[in-house]
Amino acid sequence: MAKTYDYLFKLLLIGDSGVGKTSILFRFSEDAFNISFISTIGIDFKIRTIDLDGKKVKLQIWDTAGQERFRTITTAYYRGSMGIMLVYDVTNEKSFENIKNWIRNIEENASADVEKMILGNKCDLDAKRQVSKERGEQLAVEYQIKFVETSAKDSLNVEFAFYTLARDIKAKMEKKQEASNPPGGRTGAHQLRANEQQRKPTSWLSRCSVL
Amino acid sequence: MTNATIQEIEGIDDYWGPAFRSVYEGEGGHEAFVQQLDERIQQHDKEIEKLCNFYYQGFIDSIRELLQVRSHAEELHAEISNVDANVKESTESLCTRAEELIKARRVELNIAATIEKMELCLPLLTTYSKLKTQVEAKRYYPALKTLEQLEHVLLPRVGAFAWCAQIAADVPRLRRAIRDASMADLRDFLENVRKLSPQVGAMALVQTQDMLGRSLANIIKNRKEAPPAGREGGGAQCPHELVDCSPLHRCLHIHGVLGAKNDFVQYYRAQRKQQARLVLIPASGNLHDSIQSMKNYLNAVLGFFILEEHLLSTGAGLVSKDWLLDTWSMAVTKVASTLRTNTSLITDPTLMLSIKRQIVLFINALKCYGLPTDPLPLLLQEMAEHYTEVLMQRWVVVFRDILDNASFLPIEVENQEQFDAVMDTFPCDADELEAQPFPRKFPFSPLVPAVYVQVKEFIYAWLKYSSGLGLGGARRAGAARHSAALLLARSFSGCLAALFRRPLPLVQLVQIIVDTQYLEDATSFLYEFISNITGSELVTTQTAGSMFQAARDDAEKQICENLEKKVDEFLDLENYDWLLVEPTGQASSFVTDMLGYLTGVLSSLEQLPERARAAAARAAAARIAQRLRRALLEPAVRQVSAGALHQLDLDVIQCEQFAAAEPVPGLREGELLEHFAALRQLLDLITGWDWSCYLHDVGLEGGKYALVSPRDAAALLDKLREAEQKSSVFSVLKKNERDRRKLLDTVLKQLRQLQNQDG
Ligand SMILES: Nc1nc2c(ncn2[C@@H]2O[C@H](COP(=O)(O)OP(=O)(O)O)[C@@H](O)[C@H]2O)c(=O)[nH]1
Ligand SMILES: [Mg+2]
Repeated sequence: MAKTYDYLFKLLLIGDSGVGKTSILFRFSEDAFNISFISTIGIDFKIRTIDLDGKKVKLQIWDTAGQERFRTITTAYYRGSMGIMLVYDVTNEKSFENIKNWIRNIEENASADVEKMILGNKCDLDAKRQVSKERGEQLAVEYQIKFVETSAKDSLNVEFAFYTLARDIKAKMEKKQEASNPPGGRTGAHQLRANEQQRKPTSWLSRCSVL
Repeated sequence: MTNATIQEIEGIDDYWGPAFRSVYEGEGGHEAFVQQLDERIQQHDKEIEKLCNFYYQGFIDSIRELLQVRSHAEELHAEISNVDANVKESTESLCTRAEELIKARRVELNIAATIEKMELCLPLLTTYSKLKTQVEAKRYYPALKTLEQLEHVLLPRVGAFAWCAQIAADVPRLRRAIRDASMADLRDFLENVRKLSPQVGAMALVQTQDMLGRSLANIIKNRKEAPPAGREGGGAQCPHELVDCSPLHRCLHIHGVLGAKNDFVQYYRAQRKQQARLVLIPASGNLHDSIQSMKNYLNAVLGFFILEEHLLSTGAGLVSKDWLLDTWSMAVTKVASTLRTNTSLITDPTLMLSIKRQIVLFINALKCYGLPTDPLPLLLQEMAEHYTEVLMQRWVVVFRDILDNASFLPIEVENQEQFDAVMDTFPCDADELEAQPFPRKFPFSPLVPAVYVQVKEFIYAWLKYSSGLGLGGARRAGAARHSAALLLARSFSGCLAALFRRPLPLVQLVQIIVDTQYLEDATSFLYEFISNITGSELVTTQTAGSMFQAARDDAEKQICENLEKKVDEFLDLENYDWLLVEPTGQASSFVTDMLGYLTGVLSSLEQLPERARAAAARAAAARIAQRLRRALLEPAVRQVSAGALHQLDLDVIQCEQFAAAEPVPGLREGELLEHFAALRQLLDLITGWDWSCYLHDVGLEGGKYALVSPRDAAALLDKLREAEQKSSVFSVLKKNERDRRKLLDTVLKQLRQLQNQDG
């Protein structure tokens, strides 16, 4: 059966409740915005396929609920994630301060080489802004994480953020792949899933040569 | 004998024949007779002598005397001539005098006659001049009376004068003029009436209103506030007094005098009927635009008939009972149909209420004036239905608004005050909550109290219409319950149904199910509320039960679809290497992700009724099994290796574990597992190479592989063979492998046969 994608990246959105994670995801997956607050039950995901350098990349983006009640459910998803969006609300100082806590949370639960990005959301609400762009940038530099201010409402930088994160993951993965699988070693009828690359040596071809 | 003959001759004057015969024939012949005659003559002579002698003296005396008379006569003659001259002389002046006298006498007579004639003329003339002034002063009725007198009494009395003829000729002209003028008056009156009748109606309605609101307290209050004074309308006590009917009566009298009373009555009725038609067409076109145009319309109609009714009661025959009732019945039908068409377009409940109040007042006023009210009560009933519709449309908007802005999050309260606020608006059993520390969380969302309050509002609004219609409390309550139930079951459910038209997030769906349950449970409180405000007994017959079952079913269905869609999304990520040689010993990550996701979601659906949760779990399990099976049997996948089969088996085992763990309560034991049974049997058959058992049991109820069709078995076996052939292209097969291949081919053949048998 023809594969519908070349890569599958699992991404995670985290951040305080109300910063706009669901809205960002909604914007990215449906290109729409809902003014009313849609609460998230535990965890939800959306899938969107994007094109990166001619490759079909499926993004499975997990949206977590900030509520304490679901914390145990959501941390389980840290492990399989290849990219994490840390979202804060520029009109909410507390959500910005909490980014550090969230980073610690990632360090405790997620794999070490997970790609990260900080999003300062709701940048359309300039009048209510509590966190300046500079402070966001500063924090990003501190943790050596990419940063961008977004607006789910005005559809600002949302695409850009996801594409950037996806591109970084892809680059990192291809680098790893090259390292473990020198070019020309594989006729490559089809691309294997990124997280299956460890199993690569057991593909039928290599097995064949043993026989 | 001869003697006899002479005697005979002397005795007879003629017919002397026989005497002559006797003379000739007698004795002695005619000598005798002559002798006799002589004798006789002598005799007569002697007698004459004697006679002369006797009278001679007297004769002489007489002559003498005569001569004497002659002289006397001459004397007398002179004397008389004398007298005559005297008389002649004296009477001559007398005669002239007499003649003069006669002339004077004649003049006198003439004068008297003239005076008499003149006296007859004078009243005629004064009457005529009176008539002229009367006509000029437009006092037509007296003028007509005068005219009558003039024509029938005075003119004949006077006789034929030229000027009389002129006056007589003038009479019909005047009469016509009067008639025309009075007709003009009538027209003025009619015009006036048309202008005034709305005021008449308005006043009558005000009076009716006063009368309806009459109570001792009100009367005292009014007395105190307003010392007895003339009411509006120039001191008119009765509405009809606003219109001066005297011109009409005058016209009637005039026409009575003119002998055209009937014509006039006919004319009047025809005119009024025409006016009635005009009145019945609303002046402002659309009555539903404002209450004022409706009021004006009803006032005009009412005023019109109050005046007619007044004319009926004042007699005079202008209006008859039959005519009035006839005209009214035409009018009331038209009024009803006009109101019907106009009110049916109204979408403003307040306006409808005002109109209803106005119509009720109108009906009451009609009763006061003894006019039949049918079919207006029926109209009110129809309007009640329309009003309910209008209200429901209103509330659809309200509900839609509530739903559009609904957070679908349970109400959370921080303190007692907030808690009480919720409890005040929505009655529910909160004993358990009461014991909890703050913040407390209600199971339902703000939607529930909001809708509950709105239904109460609706009931208030609905009851407003039925007040003043004279319905009993029980009937009102019954109808109110019916409408409220209708509102919830139709309008609110409709809004909910509309909500389901687009896919909803899970949270919303769950909350909707919870909320509708609470709303349904609150119906009994609504009924209590209705019985309280209508003052009727509480009715608890209707069990609210399944008012929103359809909505809940929709929500459940969507929850299932929602989960199925998520399962699909996971399975779209499926990326089996169908030629896998060695399974990793780990389940595929999309499967573990999916099962983790489902466990999380299903456990977070704890608020859902068990039934709905079980349905969701069932739907998810069924879809997983279906999709995995489809992936395995996908015709586009030509080859399936044993390794791939084992990988899939591992994944299915994960799913089975998930199913066996019963992720939600309320499931029949092993129920979820059943969804995987067909797949499990297929995998067991292939991996266990249990063909003899399968072929033995095939078609048997309750066999070990009863759920595996020969077609599926053959398809999968075929894939397996393809994969094995491919992997063994370059190698020499061992004996047991060759046997296996042979068996495989035989089984495949048999399966194909079975498949063909089945058709
Ligand atoms: N003005 C503005 N409001 C936003 C933006 N993103 C989210 N919101 C609003 O913020 C509220 C919370 O958003 P939500 O996506 O539910 O936050 P989450 O809890 O992080 O998932 C909602 O009312 C959104 O409409 C944004 O970019 N601009
Ligand atoms: Mg959210």
